[in-house]
Amino acid sequence: MTTCAPTLLELQWAVRRDVLGLADGAASEYVVPDGLAPQARLAIYRNTANSTLLRALQLTYPAVQTLVGSEFFEGAARRFIDQCPPSSAHLDSYGELFPDFLAQMPEAASLAYLPDTARLEWVVNQVLHAPDGKPLDLRRLEQLADADIQSLRFLPSPAARVLESCFPVDVIWHAVLSRDDSALADINLDADPVWLYVHRGTSGVAVDRITEEQCRFTAALLAGRPLHDALVDRADAGTSVWLAHLLASGCFVEVCLSSQASRRTTWRQFA
Amino acid sequence: MAMDAASAASQYAHGLIPACAGVGLRFRHHHEVVEGHATAAWFEVHTENYMGGGSAPAYLDAIRQDYPISLHGVGLSLGSAERMDVQHLARVRDVIRRVEPGLVSEHLSWSLSGGVYLADLLPLPMTEEALTIVCTHVDQVQTCLQRRISLENPSTYLRFRHSTIPEWEFLAEVARRTGCGILCDVNNIYVSASNHGWNALAYLDALPPESVTEVHLAGHSVRQLDQDQIIRIDDHGSRVAPPVWDLFEQALKRFGTVPTLIEWDTDVPALEVLMEEGAIAEAAIERQRNDNLCTYAA
Repeated sequence: MTTCAPTLLELQWAVRRDVLGLADGAASEYVVPDGLAPQARLAIYRNTANSTLLRALQLTYPAVQTLVGSEFFEGAARRFIDQCPPSSAHLDSYGELFPDFLAQMPEAASLAYLPDTARLEWVVNQVLHAPDGKPLDLRRLEQLADADIQSLRFLPSPAARVLESCFPVDVIWHAVLSRDDSALADINLDADPVWLYVHRGTSGVAVDRITEEQCRFTAALLAGRPLHDALVDRADAGTSVWLAHLLASGCFVEVCLSSQASRRTTWRQFA
Repeated sequence: MAMDAASAASQYAHGLIPACAGVGLRFRHHHEVVEGHATAAWFEVHTENYMGGGSAPAYLDAIRQDYPISLHGVGLSLGSAERMDVQHLARVRDVIRRVEPGLVSEHLSWSLSGGVYLADLLPLPMTEEALTIVCTHVDQVQTCLQRRISLENPSTYLRFRHSTIPEWEFLAEVARRTGCGILCDVNNIYVSASNHGWNALAYLDALPPESVTEVHLAGHSVRQLDQDQIIRIDDHGSRVAPPVWDLFEQALKRFGTVPTLIEWDTDVPALEVLMEEGAIAEAAIERQRNDNLCTYAA
């Protein structure tokens, strides 16, 4: 068989299709058989790639794997890898859509808490690997003029997130990873919803249960809503105490001011 | 503008990695190394494992206080026909700024196509077109990073029909055109030579000694095929094989003493096992150092 020499682009597109399991035979035609079928040679690379991505998902979702078992997890992960391959070599950021994928898997429908448990694991993973940043120096707040308070916003730490779920996913997550069977047995899936503050402290990632009001207030600040507006929305005696806790836990790295007239477009970093 | 070959090569003179045995540092050994339980002269880490914040780079910061560090990347995809992932290159640059490594290396391979990362070091056709593309990307990386990088020879399980250049000539030509260094993975040479019927010693002989900045050693597995055939897989999951140690001795004779790394990435063993492998490499380096002294004395 004679094959025209492909350009590098053509060859890499053909090999990509093969590695992704979309083989149409094009890549095989470019490979020297040399005693072993080209498909078998290409399969070595496909297997390595799949194993690497499976391992990346296992590292991010250890509780999910324990909940469903290795065999089920591997099958789900392989289908997910086929549908959503990564776009970069930074595999710590691979797998964000896996919880949504699990939510749409008919085979996992009986485990209603599974997608939210996966969402918690994703947030924990993101907080674990988030870039380092110095917590906000509280002396900067003292330097603000009274007029600035109206337009004060916080720049959030990438290592601070909030999460809510209809299931006690924090208890599930902790019990699974600590292999605490009695705690697992005591879990009431019909209990009230949970709101969680996930952040990185000096001793690692912390998953703290908070109130719905605290969660809404924190989410607003993390989204860049002015402090004044967030406080008006959540007029509560405990909000100031909770704000102090957020500041102390390194939830923010900087403050910004934006004038009322140009709030949407002009930000001025407070220095 | 690309760095010229001479200025790129001169930067190696400021490198901090000694011509001794080092060990690939993996997460499970962080604490032991910080506690001072390692005897390696230096460590190498995978660049992609330290691109975020938190405990892993904090451990590396602490280890960097006591040991030289080499950064070994797997994600730049220097052989891709498409544009480089400049975001990933920026992440590599950020890790380099934080770690200040003695050496920075990547692979003669590709892994990005059509916006998809294929999670393996895929082989290139050895053609003039591929050679030009690799050189362009190496220039781009060295210019961005403002330092020399080294390129590792791959372990391969297939060859393309339209290849026209022997791999060893391809690698030497990339080094000549760009001024990059060569990371000579002796295990990869052994694996590829076995899989393709090449002469491993001839491969070593074809590499310009002045370009070789580092040597890698690792274990590989042997997969039995039909009709008494075997294929060797570079899985970094065992001790260095005896024939690879023999080839390493030949590499030292050819290149002189160079920084030499023990790699172990799957089923990572206790740190002391890696130290044992490192000690074997160090003994071979020491023998070569003594041979060099005898040669000079004579």
